[in-house]
Amino acid sequence: MASIDTNEVLIDCQAVWKIFGDKAPAAMEAVAKRGLTKKQILQDYNCVVGVSDASLQVHRGEIFCIMGLSGSGKSTLIRLLNRLIAPSFGKVLVKGRDLSALDATELRQMRAQNIGMVFQSVALLPHRTVLENAAFGLEVQGIAKAERNRTAQAALEKVGLGDWLNRYPAELSGGMQQRVGLARAIASDPEIILMDEPFSALDPLIRRQLQDEFRQLTKELGKSAVFITHDLDEAIRIGDRIAIMKDGVIIQVGTAEEIVLNPADQYVADFVAGISRLHLIKAHSVMVPVADYQRQHPGGDIGTLARTTPEADIDELIGLTMQSDRDAIAVLDSGTVIGVVTARSLLAGVKGTTIGEQPAAA
Amino acid sequence: METAAFADTFDAWTDSALEWLGDNGEFLFDLVRTMLEGFHEGILWLLALPPFYVVAIVLAVAGWRLVGAWFGALTGTALVICALMGLWPETMSTLALVMTATSLALLVGLPIGVAAGFLPALDRLLEPALDLIQTLPPYIYLLPAIALLGYGPATALIATFVVAMPPAIRLTSLGIRMTPHEFIELGHAIGTTKWQMFFKIRLPFAMPSIMAGINQSLMMAFGMVVIAGIVGSGGLGETIYGAIRTLDIAKSIDAAIAIVVLTMVLDRITQSAARFGKGGTP
Ligand SMILES: Nc1ncnc2c1ncn2[C@@H]1O[C@H](COP(=O)(O)OP(=O)(O)O)[C@@H](O)[C@H]1O
Ligand SMILES: [Mg+2]
Repeated sequence: MASIDTNEVLIDCQAVWKIFGDKAPAAMEAVAKRGLTKKQILQDYNCVVGVSDASLQVHRGEIFCIMGLSGSGKSTLIRLLNRLIAPSFGKVLVKGRDLSALDATELRQMRAQNIGMVFQSVALLPHRTVLENAAFGLEVQGIAKAERNRTAQAALEKVGLGDWLNRYPAELSGGMQQRVGLARAIASDPEIILMDEPFSALDPLIRRQLQDEFRQLTKELGKSAVFITHDLDEAIRIGDRIAIMKDGVIIQVGTAEEIVLNPADQYVADFVAGISRLHLIKAHSVMVPVADYQRQHPGGDIGTLARTTPEADIDELIGLTMQSDRDAIAVLDSGTVIGVVTARSLLAGVKGTTIGEQPAAA
Repeated sequence: METAAFADTFDAWTDSALEWLGDNGEFLFDLVRTMLEGFHEGILWLLALPPFYVVAIVLAVAGWRLVGAWFGALTGTALVICALMGLWPETMSTLALVMTATSLALLVGLPIGVAAGFLPALDRLLEPALDLIQTLPPYIYLLPAIALLGYGPATALIATFVVAMPPAIRLTSLGIRMTPHEFIELGHAIGTTKWQMFFKIRLPFAMPSIMAGINQSLMMAFGMVVIAGIVGSGGLGETIYGAIRTLDIAKSIDAAIAIVVLTMVLDRITQSAARFGKGGTP
């Protein structure tokens, strides 16, 4: 895999709105001028706000999850990213190109070559074999049959369906069908894959398996993905970053760790309340500065503490603490001690807070 | 007295209107008749070319492949019986009439159906017209046709064409409209052109409905072709009509048997072809 520039922004979604309804343009104008609320827009204009002022950036090689309850605007937002839905206001740039400025042919090429999509309903054509389904994107691009079949077969092998080429979708289980959907998306070798709740209809065991496979495959191929889910556990397993949506608004964007440690509001806090911190929170978030440790433990020799990396999670840290006869662990980054994890900071991490947020005394 | 006078006036008007049409459109109606009869005779010539057992074998094999072994055998036997009853030329003539009228109905009906599938306004406009065509007793359509085209197969063909067209339009339009939303979305997301969207996504989903429409058109055509015996269509319809007039009940029953055989064979074969066309898993 070639090294990839993870700073490159592939999708840049700038203050995008989508209002549904006959009077959407008037409603949009009223929002811009008078800042109406969602409820007022529904009352005054009989329009539904699907997405409200959403901004996000997806970088190359990143898996970006969008999490929210049903009806929060996730499907609308992801369809704005390939212009299956045109925004009422705001801009979407893909690879630096404003989608609204593309003509029909350019937009079609952009969708065919740069942006793959996987649907919750899978949408496999029932009268085509697995291979023909996986090759569909290439067929649409006019690629010769022998070549597109070769490419599609390779894609199917990547998702573990090399033995099922000539079966029909109805002969496959739900999980396998969704794999064909993924193979169809990656066969065209797009930089970006949009996934709208692809695993939501699957049973939990298959779902877990597909989540892990999907993450691994995406990373292996160096793809970027926008992944929609209504399940925070899934978002945490899959996503490098997570956006949380509510009523069409993105209320927080960050890594799973950031969101769990610093929920933006009560809504997010309630969501993350049930999430286990053990594998989520890392040493660099719970450690205390070396100076603080030395002040509290005069004479404590940092050099003799057990050592770990900033990426060690709470589970590992607890294990290390149990094995050690000391009650603290030194966190090293390229040979330098950058902080110390104490028993107290560990406990705070398990609770999902950091020591800095604890009442000062004690 | 009063009413009879009114009826006389009305009849006189109608006559002169038709006469006027006949005179002024003579060239047009002659052309239509020549084309229809030419088409019909071409197909009839093709069907009459091979001896009867070749046609019977071909249809038996089609029945066997598409429906099943027992149906294939039954088809072959039944067709041979038609020939033994001495009705083979009439049977082929009826088959040619049905095929001519149905192909014309499909040639016009399928494109209109596709257009109506895409344009809800057109569909709403056609709906009452098709309802009317299907509500009226079918032999009504023989009247204007015989006035303008005269006694003979052309009149039978036009009337059959009118009766056979509505199901093709209706079911094609329905099929085109039935494409599931998520597949339209798939087409857009994967970057299909308008033509690809039609041929690779909409049409395959519409196919079962379109095939059902073709089957129904064919069945409507069969019914009409028999009725059209009274305007000199030729074929089994005319045989039945003639036999009834001379009270030759046995002969009319023979002809009726031949019609039943032909109808059932074509119905089952096209129905199975429709399932076959759907492809996919059995
Ligand atoms: N085509 C549409 N017309 C009108 N309202 C819509 C349409 N699509 C979505 N909505 C509304 O927009 C809101 C967001 O929907 P959606 O994006 O599907 O949410 P999610 O995918 O998070 O469940 C919902 O209130 C929904 O009813
Ligand atoms: Mg959705």
